[in-house]
Amino acid sequence: MDFIRKPRVKVEKTSAVVNLEQLYPHNVTLYRLPPTEDITLQEFEDLALERLKLLRIFEQAGSRNLRFLSDEWKEHITSEINREGLKGYARLFHNSGSVKESDLQARRRDTISHFILRVAYSRSQDLQRWFTAREMEMFRYKFSLLTASQVKEFLEINKLDYTPLTEEQKNEVKDGLYESTMGQSASKIELLDFYKVHFTEVLDLVKGRRCFLKNGFAYVNSSDFVSIIATKYQSELERGLQVAQRGLPESENDERLVSVLKGIHTSYTGKDYSIDKGESVPIECLDQLSIKSFPLCMRSCHEILRSKHHLKHFGRLQYTLFLKGIGVLLEDALRFFREEFTKTMDLERFEKGYAYNIRHSYGKEGSMVKYSPFSCMKIIMQAVGPQDTHGCPFKTLDPVALKSKLTSYGLSPMHVQEVATFATKGHYQLACDRYFEVIHDTKLDQGIQHPNQYFELSQAVMGSREQKGGTPANKNVRKVVKKEVNSTLLEGDDDELWNIAETQENEMTQKKAAETVKSEWDDDFDISQVESMEF
Amino acid sequence: MVKIEENEKGYDPNILPDLLPVYYKRLFPHKPFYRWLSYGNSENGIFTHREISFTLADDVYIRYLSFDSQPELEKEICSRNPHKIDIGAVLSVRPKHHRATANIHALQRELVFDIDMTDYDEVRNCCEGANVCTKCWKFMTIACRVLDAALREDFGFEHILWVFSGRRGIHCWVCDKTARHLDNRGRGAVADYLNLLIHGGENSTTKASIGERLHHSVRRALKIVEPMFEEVCIVDQDMFGNSKGVTKLIQMLPDENLRKDFEAHLKNVGSTSKEVWEAFLRFCNAQRSKGNAVRRMKNIVEEVQLAFLYPRLDINVTKGLNHLLKAPFCVHPKTGKICVPFNPSAAAKFDPMSVPTITALLEEINAFDDKIRSEDAEEDKNRIKDYKKTGMFKGVVVFEEFLRKLESSFKGKAIEVSDSKMEF
Repeated sequence: MDFIRKPRVKVEKTSAVVNLEQLYPHNVTLYRLPPTEDITLQEFEDLALERLKLLRIFEQAGSRNLRFLSDEWKEHITSEINREGLKGYARLFHNSGSVKESDLQARRRDTISHFILRVAYSRSQDLQRWFTAREMEMFRYKFSLLTASQVKEFLEINKLDYTPLTEEQKNEVKDGLYESTMGQSASKIELLDFYKVHFTEVLDLVKGRRCFLKNGFAYVNSSDFVSIIATKYQSELERGLQVAQRGLPESENDERLVSVLKGIHTSYTGKDYSIDKGESVPIECLDQLSIKSFPLCMRSCHEILRSKHHLKHFGRLQYTLFLKGIGVLLEDALRFFREEFTKTMDLERFEKGYAYNIRHSYGKEGSMVKYSPFSCMKIIMQAVGPQDTHGCPFKTLDPVALKSKLTSYGLSPMHVQEVATFATKGHYQLACDRYFEVIHDTKLDQGIQHPNQYFELSQAVMGSREQKGGTPANKNVRKVVKKEVNSTLLEGDDDELWNIAETQENEMTQKKAAETVKSEWDDDFDISQVESMEF
Repeated sequence: MVKIEENEKGYDPNILPDLLPVYYKRLFPHKPFYRWLSYGNSENGIFTHREISFTLADDVYIRYLSFDSQPELEKEICSRNPHKIDIGAVLSVRPKHHRATANIHALQRELVFDIDMTDYDEVRNCCEGANVCTKCWKFMTIACRVLDAALREDFGFEHILWVFSGRRGIHCWVCDKTARHLDNRGRGAVADYLNLLIHGGENSTTKASIGERLHHSVRRALKIVEPMFEEVCIVDQDMFGNSKGVTKLIQMLPDENLRKDFEAHLKNVGSTSKEVWEAFLRFCNAQRSKGNAVRRMKNIVEEVQLAFLYPRLDINVTKGLNHLLKAPFCVHPKTGKICVPFNPSAAAKFDPMSVPTITALLEEINAFDDKIRSEDAEEDKNRIKDYKKTGMFKGVVVFEEFLRKLESSFKGKAIEVSDSKMEF
């Protein structure tokens, strides 16, 4: 292989540089070979954190709803990388054409840090998913920066062989290509090279109906070519993560590494809501809490459960896990659901069909997995069918329904408009942030990423108000909650808000209850759904 | 028609436990059922590692069953007489040993689709909930034709089994090897490709997202949907004959101003479904020629038609590799109807109302037996397979035909392999 074909480099190459070039021949890599060199613990930790920072930048860009690889997105990434001082990655994402030693060093750091995080993030399904998603963004970004000849070089290095259709072959499927190749004008399609691959190699294009599909084969144009490589890389990465997971006990034999490997995990999730907090929230105060401390998604679940005495499968799952996260005990949750469900079905049917499900969510049945409460991303991404009650209301409700809901919660027309505007633009989490701020009459200094985080922030805000600037009371949920329930008089503007919200709420519930709700809840219940999720 | 009523009336869920033993013993097509799930034993453990689950009396649900052979499966079915049989995935470990191993995962499973009539409640006025009639069954017919065409033409799948789910829906099993081996991501992608509709959850309107340029799969769906739209939505369902339907139509327009304009426009026209729909067509044309919201109005009529008639998939069923789905030839416990396979190319002729119930079938064999006995006492009645004497025959024929093609695909492979050996 001829990596050394750079006549401009006049300086004599040191053997170290040559070595680096051999190890890291290209800016884009499939990370097939783990590094074998020795590094210091300090470097190990630094590299890991550096990459984590980078991956978080990608995550933030996504949650800001910047379109992936759009100019805004790229700008955001570049400025954040500079702000965080990630020089190595700045280099990696700056395709200058010539390769200096510092570029090679950047590649080296890229590879080593990738493998460190691969181990750290192999720990659980959730972490694997997060890591894979971020790595894929990074991969696609790097690939998008390549010139045609660099792509060719990349394919050669990785022994990937793809030949485009001949003119004749292209002509045979011409009509389909014109009709179904998205994102390209007809005149462009005429000129572009097309590759014929099995549809499983370009799932992302299939998913979005972005290419022509015939008899199991996808016709991919050269500007979508990255999809083929990316899919390949993704499945290699997923396999790699599984291998890493199996090796985890061994990796953790070394105590010096354990803290770093585990530390990364917690420094990402910030908080693990699946852990029992030792305090419990009595179910009697859920009605109260739902008005102010529940995010819209959970408040909806709560209201529907109260008014229709039923929640469909995913709604139940979403809500049960949230309740678990805020500290509702299993026995209480069971009692709560039982009281509601048995209004429309007999006790026996509930015990047989649904109680298992709830115990399962608490990790007391079946595979005994401790399920974490759903994060915003998970809730937003979930598919919602007709009559389903789960999902993020800022996304699922159409603007009219959303506005009337918010109005009924006592938001002023101006605030309703503000929140709804975020939602219609697709900034669901920003809409939720704003909703929080309006409801609590405060400013948020962090974005809402998790319904349970919403709850805790809400509790913290109200707790500190109640204690007039005393120590934040978010640590003691039970205490706070009890006070809320027991004292009818809360202080100041809080009190007012409560009242407004509550009267509105009562009106709403009454109205809802008054409507004769047709109850065709005869959805074929399937407990296996729960287990299949984590398979 | 008289016969249909008899079927409905003749079945009583309380006596199901008494009927099942006879059904399983004499009518359930055990051998073909095995031939399907064993796939000619083309892959290791494909039958023995398959998870089967039984629902017994009183909703006792047993998961992780697995069987060594056809006789064992038949014996178990006949001795436990399950009210329902579900088929899961082929697992990495024999399902019955699932407790012994921690690392158990699904290796393969048919790609399945589940379409349920309740998802159509917002667009049908003839029935709701669990009820179906010939009018709303047309939604299922369309769904079946659209999906079947896409699966065959776009994905190249050939071995597709369509099954009536016993009451108000249909199931689809795609059994090609590639389909069976799709991972969760692959299933998700296929599901999303086929899922055009965006449901807003409660109280909001279902919309179709098809973009400005129509993908060939969307165009093909329209070719099926368009000619049916008037018949189904305007005539049968009288969709826009009430204010609810009209509101739904208004909601389909892309922005507030257009909606107001159209609402005003409607004041001057009649209120039958046909009049409203024609007013809508005129309105959209007028807006387009005026140059209003041209881009978003470009395919508005198509979007509306799809929103009403495009298949409504329960995509979570399709996405999960490990989802259990009711097996064909089960008896639906509420209706007593058999989950019979049907031929997708004759989907329009399939009538869920005339699907035989277990009661009717058992009467049929009895009548047949009596006839044989009276005609010729010497004849061995076992010579004719029992299901061939009954209304279930058609369903079994469809199934056999599906199996024949499926099995020939394995034989084809075998010949190919031996051919290539001969050459060299």
